[in-house]
Amino acid sequence: MNLSKLPAHWRTIRISFEMQLRQNFSDPFIIFAIIVQPMIIATLALWMLQDQVDQFAIFVIVGSGMTGLWSSLLFISGNAITGERWVGTLEGLVASPTPMPVIVLGKNLANVFQSLSSMLASYALVALLFGLSIEIQQPLLFAVSILFAMLAFVTFGLIMASLFIINPAVQNWQNGLEFPVYILGGFLFPIALLPGWTTPFSYLLAPYWAARALQAASVGAGTFEEMALNWGMMLFFSIIYIITSRSLFLFVLRKARVDATLGMQ
Amino acid sequence: MNAIEVNNLRRVFTTNIGRFKRETKEVVAVDDVSFSVADGELFGLLGPNGAGKTTTVKMLTTLLIPSSGSAHIAGNDVVDEADQIRPRIGFIFGGERGLYWRLSAIDNLRYFASLYHVEPEVSAKRIPYLLEMVGLADRGKEKVEGYSRGMKQRLHIARSLIHDPDILFLDEPTIGLDPVGARGLRQVVRNLQDEKKTILLTTHYMFEADMLCQRIAVIDKGNIVAMDTPEELKKLVLDLSVIEVEMFGVSDDLISTLRSQNYVDNVSVENREQRQVLMVQTERGSEAIPDLMTLFEGIRVGKVTSREPTLEDAYVRLVGGEA
Repeated sequence: MNLSKLPAHWRTIRISFEMQLRQNFSDPFIIFAIIVQPMIIATLALWMLQDQVDQFAIFVIVGSGMTGLWSSLLFISGNAITGERWVGTLEGLVASPTPMPVIVLGKNLANVFQSLSSMLASYALVALLFGLSIEIQQPLLFAVSILFAMLAFVTFGLIMASLFIINPAVQNWQNGLEFPVYILGGFLFPIALLPGWTTPFSYLLAPYWAARALQAASVGAGTFEEMALNWGMMLFFSIIYIITSRSLFLFVLRKARVDATLGMQ
Repeated sequence: MNAIEVNNLRRVFTTNIGRFKRETKEVVAVDDVSFSVADGELFGLLGPNGAGKTTTVKMLTTLLIPSSGSAHIAGNDVVDEADQIRPRIGFIFGGERGLYWRLSAIDNLRYFASLYHVEPEVSAKRIPYLLEMVGLADRGKEKVEGYSRGMKQRLHIARSLIHDPDILFLDEPTIGLDPVGARGLRQVVRNLQDEKKTILLTTHYMFEADMLCQRIAVIDKGNIVAMDTPEELKKLVLDLSVIEVEMFGVSDDLISTLRSQNYVDNVSVENREQRQVLMVQTERGSEAIPDLMTLFEGIRVGKVTSREPTLEDAYVRLVGGEA
């Protein structure tokens, strides 16, 4: 995607964001996935850990939130492209003058925003039910980390979307990608508990740096060096994802036109 | 310069069959197609199911890359200059798909207006205009999922016109519509013709092509078998008359027997509720009726009439009775 053209596509991103939100809110499956399911996960996690100190509770809440964020990106954003193919709108999008990454950016932004906001609300509700403190120790650093995390997740969604355009069969990878990222991302427990050889894989995942930043800010461990490293890595990966997705989209869209996979198979 | 220029276009689809011993099978959807459409012309691509109409349109709308040959839209190559073509064309593919059912008609149009970079102040005027044009002005705020098939088809037309394109590709726009809906949609196409849009219309409804198109290309098995004005195409069968026979229970054997008669040029069958109508093209006109009746012994026969040939008869002759 050409970054210099982003302002010109701003209106398309905004409307794509709005339309995706409207469609998500009228889909019972998505409502369940982003509101009901995270509440169930959080209830279970907090019930198991209710004897722990409050600070650990917020660690669990943030970690559970990250699992929901990752799953929603993986399934809702991934299925958005497959869904477009099934309802016959993918051809209309591809044949429009707007570059596909711009359209997908708006959709991913909506999915990430929606899952993040609804999860925060549901975890707050669950924490209130358990009478737990959900006080974030460094709210400003937490808020900035959320923005960087959104950027990292939304741009990673561009890579996934391009792969989903190329072939619906790629969807089979979805389930296989869900739990490894939970574990390698250190969402619910530190990666130091994993075998040493897995650490480099964690470092290659933007969600790991997002979880690390959010957890540090929530428990008050957000030093300047720590946050600069986490934000810098998220920014670095976001730029890598944007650059990679640009070439990937050009490749997969041409391949889809050759293989005739834009329409329903 | 022609609005649409197609030269020796070919598209082959490759599929893999077999689970353990994988075999690659090639299907030629479009074999060798060439034609051109002038600015402001309404050009028809007429052919049976599977003839290659939709594949041709998908190549011209930049959604499929041809296996060989070339096509230019407004002078731009469909493969290498797709970005120049896309803002200038609008297209619809027949059927209900291609719309966001959980959004209203207005939201669908707003979304596509933004994708085509239509300025908000322009789309604010154009959306009500288009909804009025396709007869959906009073239903625009309703979700598309509650629309009838005809309403969705009309919304498709509005969507394809949101950016006021010069060139339109209408792939079987009236398929599956009831007669009233189809008539309304044909009127919309006529109005677009009056606006001097270049239109490529694909259909397998002969009367529709005859009524709307200035020129028609008949496509069969991926090749163009005839191309001319409807009047000239009809002349292909001026030497023939058509005997129509209402029957109840036409067998394949009977059709084979009819085709083997030396005075029969072609035979086609049309289903009409409980009965079939056998259409026999012959140079002998009504004189052939007594001979035909001897072949119908033991079959319940209804009304028998003789008539002048139509574009449909020319089509049947060209594609070999597969209508």
